[in-house]
Amino acid sequence: MRRYAVQRSLTVIPVLLGVSVLVFSFIHLIPGDPALTMLGERATPEKVAEVRAHLGLDRPLWQQYGIYVGKVVRGDLGVSIVRGDPVLTDLLRRFPATVELATAAIVLAIALGIPIGVASAVWRNSIVDSLARLWALTGVSMPIFWLGLMLAWFFGVKLRVLPTGFRLGTGTAFAPSTNFVILDAALQGNWPVLADALRHLVLPALALATIPLAIIARMTRASLLEVLSREYIRTAEAKGLSQTAVVLRHALWNALLPVLTVVGLQVGHLLAGAILTETIFSWPGIGLWVYESIEARDYAIVQGASLFIAAIVVVVNLATDLLYALVDPRIKYD
Amino acid sequence: MRLSGLALLVAVGFHVMTGPAIAQTFVFGAQGEPVQLDPAVITDGISSRITRQIFDGLVRYRGSTTEVEPALAEKWEVSRDGRVWTFELRHNVKFHDGTPLDAAAVVWNFERWWKSNHAQHENQVKAGQTFEYWEAQFGGFDDKSIVSKVEAVGSHTVRITLKDPQAPFLANLAMFVFDVASPKAVEKWGLEFGKHPVGTGAFQFVEWKPNQEVILEANPGYWGVKPRVKRVVVRNIKDNSQRLGALKAGEIHGMEGLNPDDVAVVKSDPSLQLLLRPTNTTGYIAFNYKVKEFQDKRVRQAFAHAINKKAIVDALYGGTGLVATQFQPPSLWGYNRELKDFEYGPARARELLTQAGFAQGLSEITGEDGKKEPLIFWYMSRSRPYFPNPKEIAEAMAADLAKAGITTQLQTTEWAVYLDKRKNGQLPLYMLGWTGDNGDPDNFLCYFFCQPGAAREGFYANTALADLLLRAQKLTIQAERARLYRQAEQMLHDDVGRLFIANNQPPLALSKRAKGYVPHPTGSEYFNTVEVQ
Repeated sequence: MRRYAVQRSLTVIPVLLGVSVLVFSFIHLIPGDPALTMLGERATPEKVAEVRAHLGLDRPLWQQYGIYVGKVVRGDLGVSIVRGDPVLTDLLRRFPATVELATAAIVLAIALGIPIGVASAVWRNSIVDSLARLWALTGVSMPIFWLGLMLAWFFGVKLRVLPTGFRLGTGTAFAPSTNFVILDAALQGNWPVLADALRHLVLPALALATIPLAIIARMTRASLLEVLSREYIRTAEAKGLSQTAVVLRHALWNALLPVLTVVGLQVGHLLAGAILTETIFSWPGIGLWVYESIEARDYAIVQGASLFIAAIVVVVNLATDLLYALVDPRIKYD
Repeated sequence: MRLSGLALLVAVGFHVMTGPAIAQTFVFGAQGEPVQLDPAVITDGISSRITRQIFDGLVRYRGSTTEVEPALAEKWEVSRDGRVWTFELRHNVKFHDGTPLDAAAVVWNFERWWKSNHAQHENQVKAGQTFEYWEAQFGGFDDKSIVSKVEAVGSHTVRITLKDPQAPFLANLAMFVFDVASPKAVEKWGLEFGKHPVGTGAFQFVEWKPNQEVILEANPGYWGVKPRVKRVVVRNIKDNSQRLGALKAGEIHGMEGLNPDDVAVVKSDPSLQLLLRPTNTTGYIAFNYKVKEFQDKRVRQAFAHAINKKAIVDALYGGTGLVATQFQPPSLWGYNRELKDFEYGPARARELLTQAGFAQGLSEITGEDGKKEPLIFWYMSRSRPYFPNPKEIAEAMAADLAKAGITTQLQTTEWAVYLDKRKNGQLPLYMLGWTGDNGDPDNFLCYFFCQPGAAREGFYANTALADLLLRAQKLTIQAERARLYRQAEQMLHDDVGRLFIANNQPPLALSKRAKGYVPHPTGSEYFNTVEVQ
């Protein structure tokens, strides 16, 4: 197990290197000179040359890459081209907002997705199952930006029960210490801010949770059905155990293993989905930040954030793989 | 116990939801995040909207016009040769940090903008910032600049000497970039001044929450019209539909960046009002004069008669567009009201083409090397104020041209590539436009037509026009200049140098509760006149 853990962990390095090459070259391969895009209609040739030199764009590509990787290894993700702020500092300041949103979404997706999947499997082909499957299918194919707009429109504009966006109300005076606003408000005992933060969290979390929720529900259903057809389940039923006991005590735990993998994979999708969700709901996390930076061609930020997001996905997948062995004692790697 | 805690939480939540009356605060929904709040180095409208509240310049634009009126300078004189300007500053004006606004502070600001060895200039350049508008409006830095001397000749008197008279000098000074900053604060914060702006404006800076909002507070000691709200919050809402949602939900009181289709939505909502900024932007089609066919004026005239501008403006501008007859938008004082535009008429266009030898229509063009190639009509991939839906507008124009026998192939490319190709004169026929900086006709006409034959302008070489424009630049009497600009527009029209399609009046949506918002052509409005009922 330990050897596996070490080996598996080492695979992360080439993956991250690959990602860095990809992230680096994407920005240079897409057409258009970043300097010219930044300067726009009023650009003079001298100005463009000046900006190119400043950004190091006049050096050969391999040199640019070498310099970039060297800096990244030392924890320097460069400075924003538009604002001049260090990318890493900005990233860490915005990351808690994304974590808060993604955590809420994944908790929501698991808390609803697994029961729906179980109900669907247990009452297979019933009306419950059909409805759940229809819901799951709709959920998987729902564009987040559309759903986000609809949620905001219905709950924010029509009913006016929830805010259409943001993390806190207009001009709220609140100094978070960790930038996890919910956590900070709870620790500071600031209940009005906590309530306000939770209210602001509902719609974006719902929008972001929809797709993973549907996928988790479908996966739980399929996996549970498969387990329920196993012989040991028949034995358990033959012994006269109640259906609840069979499903919850004997089948579900085993059925959740593939679900765990799916949840791990969803982290990547959540972070990708966060770009749209955060943009729609003006949620100040890295998603919105990346979106704005892509628009402004602030490629230092786009590179840094992509690398960071990729690293998180890689690490979460690693953790999922390692967790596997813990959850299922039958799995042995060596 | 636990239940009552929950009940309390719900009750608190409900209280926050209904909230207290926020009439003391004006909340504006912006399309994005400010770059930074140091007016001297920014160029974008999102940042300048905020800096305009915090800072004042020597002069400012009056109401919704681009006429200049006193601001920090109470009055001024200009020498007879138009080279020496003397400004008398308003007394008893203080920056938000308590330091006085005096001649020394103004001189300090000019030197910072102008001199590349000024410590607070050098540090910006090293950090990759440029004083771009100083360079553009005043000819460059140090010795290259048209400014030759800036001096304090009294505690509240500033004298600026120019090498040559510059007609748009005052209009330039009214731009947001030349708003005066507190020297003490700039020196204290250095590069971080853009995050801690200190000016003399109606509102002072409180806080900037990244990707969320910028909070400003009324300056009780403001020298001008006292603010009518205690606070201003500018919230960053990226998505156009979502911003309108926030307005309808009452979370914000005003916004810009409406989708053309949403203009009707705002008009039909009894709780909202639609305001239009006076137009300051013109979209055009440019010919490349290296193309043999375009050298024939009759061909260019055929294009002019073929395009149904009115239909395009009616269908694709959400009711905020105007048909352009010339390059300057009608809000500029050099606008030529007498100018008679080409009439729409596909038959007339065909006739002109036939006269030019294209009885079978025009679908191929001849390059300098004599090679024939299909006529490609380029449109931009990005929405711009002058062409809000470039693709749809291009399609409509191509359809109009086809009716007159001109077959084009539409093509676009990435924005940066587009600008690059345009700059190098590689586009045979293309759409682009201009948004004015300072309300001066020179800013529209001279940038494009003062360098005859420039590749950037499709090699259009009209020396008579260039001479006229350069002459107008040196005059100081506005009436004389206006006459020359009207003449320039007529020359451009007679030569069909370019096809001017539309002006747009960018729409703003406000809650009916917000009163006193005065839209401005430059897009940066002052919030001190705004009241929220």
